[in-house]
Amino acid sequence: MGTPASTAGLRVKSKTRRKRSNANSFALLFILPSLILYTLFVIVPTLGSVYLSFTSWDGISEDVRFIGLANFAEIFQSPRVHNALKNTLVLTISLVLLENIAAIAMALMVDRVRWFKNLFRSLFYFPTLLSGVVMGFVWAMILNYNFGVFNQILNAVGLGSWAIDWLGNPDYAMISIILSTVWKGAGYYMIIYLAGLQGIPTELSEAASIDGASGWQQFRFITFPLLAGSLTVCMVLSTISALKIFDQIAVMTDGGPGFATETLTYIIYKVGFGELRQGFGTALALVLFVLILIVTIIQVQILRKREVQY
Amino acid sequence: MHMVKPKAKGWFAVTLAASMLLGACGSGSGDAQTKSGAASSGESGEKVSFTLGYASGDPAARKAISDTVQRFMDEHPNIEIKDISDNSASSYLDWLKTKDAVGEFPDLVEMRDTEVFADAGKIVELPSDLLELFDSPPEVEGKVWNAPLALNVPQGIIYSKKAYADAGIAELPKTYDEFLAVQEKLKASGLSPLVVGGKDIFHMGFWVNKFLIDDVYAQDPDWNSKKTAQEVSFADDNVVQAMTDFKFLFRNYVDKGWLSTPDNQTASILVSGKAAQLFSGTWMFSQIEEADPSFEYGFYAVPDREGHVNVIGLPSPAGWTLSAEAAKDPAKTEAIKSFIRYFFEPEQYSLYLASLNGIPSTKEKVEYEASPAMQSALDLMNDSDVTKSLAINNWWGENLIPPQFRNWFYKKLQEMVASDGDVTDYMKQIDTEYDAQVKANSM
Repeated sequence: MGTPASTAGLRVKSKTRRKRSNANSFALLFILPSLILYTLFVIVPTLGSVYLSFTSWDGISEDVRFIGLANFAEIFQSPRVHNALKNTLVLTISLVLLENIAAIAMALMVDRVRWFKNLFRSLFYFPTLLSGVVMGFVWAMILNYNFGVFNQILNAVGLGSWAIDWLGNPDYAMISIILSTVWKGAGYYMIIYLAGLQGIPTELSEAASIDGASGWQQFRFITFPLLAGSLTVCMVLSTISALKIFDQIAVMTDGGPGFATETLTYIIYKVGFGELRQGFGTALALVLFVLILIVTIIQVQILRKREVQY
Repeated sequence: MHMVKPKAKGWFAVTLAASMLLGACGSGSGDAQTKSGAASSGESGEKVSFTLGYASGDPAARKAISDTVQRFMDEHPNIEIKDISDNSASSYLDWLKTKDAVGEFPDLVEMRDTEVFADAGKIVELPSDLLELFDSPPEVEGKVWNAPLALNVPQGIIYSKKAYADAGIAELPKTYDEFLAVQEKLKASGLSPLVVGGKDIFHMGFWVNKFLIDDVYAQDPDWNSKKTAQEVSFADDNVVQAMTDFKFLFRNYVDKGWLSTPDNQTASILVSGKAAQLFSGTWMFSQIEEADPSFEYGFYAVPDREGHVNVIGLPSPAGWTLSAEAAKDPAKTEAIKSFIRYFFEPEQYSLYLASLNGIPSTKEKVEYEASPAMQSALDLMNDSDVTKSLAINNWWGENLIPPQFRNWFYKKLQEMVASDGDVTDYMKQIDTEYDAQVKANSM
């Protein structure tokens, strides 16, 4: 038997526990419909595809033959897959760096500019509203060797020798895709950084300014560290998005010229649908899934450590 | 009706029949086949609908088919055809496979990879009562699966007469070396000798197969089956020679932007005078005339080094095909049969053929007005000294290549040209990949 005080304490605790449990059940009720749909249409097919990765299924016939680890063995030996992996890494690293640098620069500008703040915000954000396909078509037209605006401008200003086949030259095709994707994607991350910037107390910058800190020093020692939360989100999102890039490549280069811009997501589509090797494509998709998972976990671990709060 | 420009006019009344090319002349069975299926479901009063899918990349062919579909529906109000074709797809096979994956495989489909889809059980044989429309349609596994939209047409050089005249070219080349001399003259005149639509992977096949036919298939039509059995190799001298010629031509005489130029821009580049020639098929004639009705052009097949002329021209199993799903529904099957009969009626079929300068596949005679360039193509087809062959991916049976090989092969060749790669090294890599794909498909 407990004392009256301890009994009352237990009663309060049990009441709190019951309240929490009721709240949890209530929350579960809200989650349940989405969970059921997500399980049915995402989890179950995903798990089902794990089996397909061990088969030689062509994607159209009834004949689904189990071939063990042959698809995975081919992935690790295939020069084409190695090339796609290399392209994916080049694309991802470039996109993550350039998109975030551009987004921070745009966010700082929009945050500090006195005039036309909303105009700049809209201008920078507008490209993100376009779908990857539309954006791809637009840039493919701009960069077209024969009829594109870009080469015509170069010719018009006397720089005709600089007019090259931006999407057909293996040395420039990837750069063209990267830059056009930065143009499309940076505005989205700008909004996240802008929210981060607006959460930084102005007193910190004012104090630093009084202490004689230059603009660069204020950014390096105050603004950038306090943007760490936004940076984590943007880096993770841009990495996942870059690893999964598909639309722009499909429309602008079709993975070419040759295999110069073929990435993992693109090769998954090409072998799965165009080359009638659904089993192999599924195995590649699983490898990509594991790759994204590993990169994301490492990235979050590293970036979380450097998040600070004043 | 197809129109030729006034200058080139001079009625070339083309009386074309499959028999001209295949050696047998059949007599059409008249009314029975031209009345669009008297017992069709469309006339039974019940509304029937089916989906239609075809390779719609060529604007002229797309318009011709959609016009035929519209006329058919106007005349058969109880039959609805839903055209689900997508002309933005870069590869027809990709599109078809994607449609299948989402459960939208067309009820009536223009089939090009017949053997693959037949083996997968996705298509059915052509109904026996439609066989009478065609003269000796190709068989796969002893069965006829397709109603051939047209016979394969030869590919060759479509050239600007003005560019040739300006470059001082008075005679057409009789050997491949003379052809190279022509390229040199055109280049010296300040023009891009050749425009190539290399962004579209199928377009790559035009030149690749010209060289493969000259050095490989003209001598050995069963080369593919020997390759599959590993009795020959892509690294053999004849294939290396073919690809060396291909690489030399592309690095020296092809317009700089070829890797990002889509097929549908090639006609504009030709008529604009930026390039002097295009290597393609007769279907481009209408696109060229549409782009510039006053543009004067000619057509010839590129000879090989010994002066022989080898062109694409054998029949291949491709054409309108019924899906297995549609075949389960008798009403739908009747409606589809009714459409196929309508499509191949001479008055309808001639419009389709005229739009893409095609050669009829039907027994019954079909006439349309042909330009001088088209007449040159027909002369090639009727010349017994000209070797007729097929592209690497159009053979079937034992000669069927792995379905994933063609696009990979063409892309690898793009890479070889763009990176100035060693032809023999590339051919060894290609040979290894071919064997790997055969092995993968046999698992």
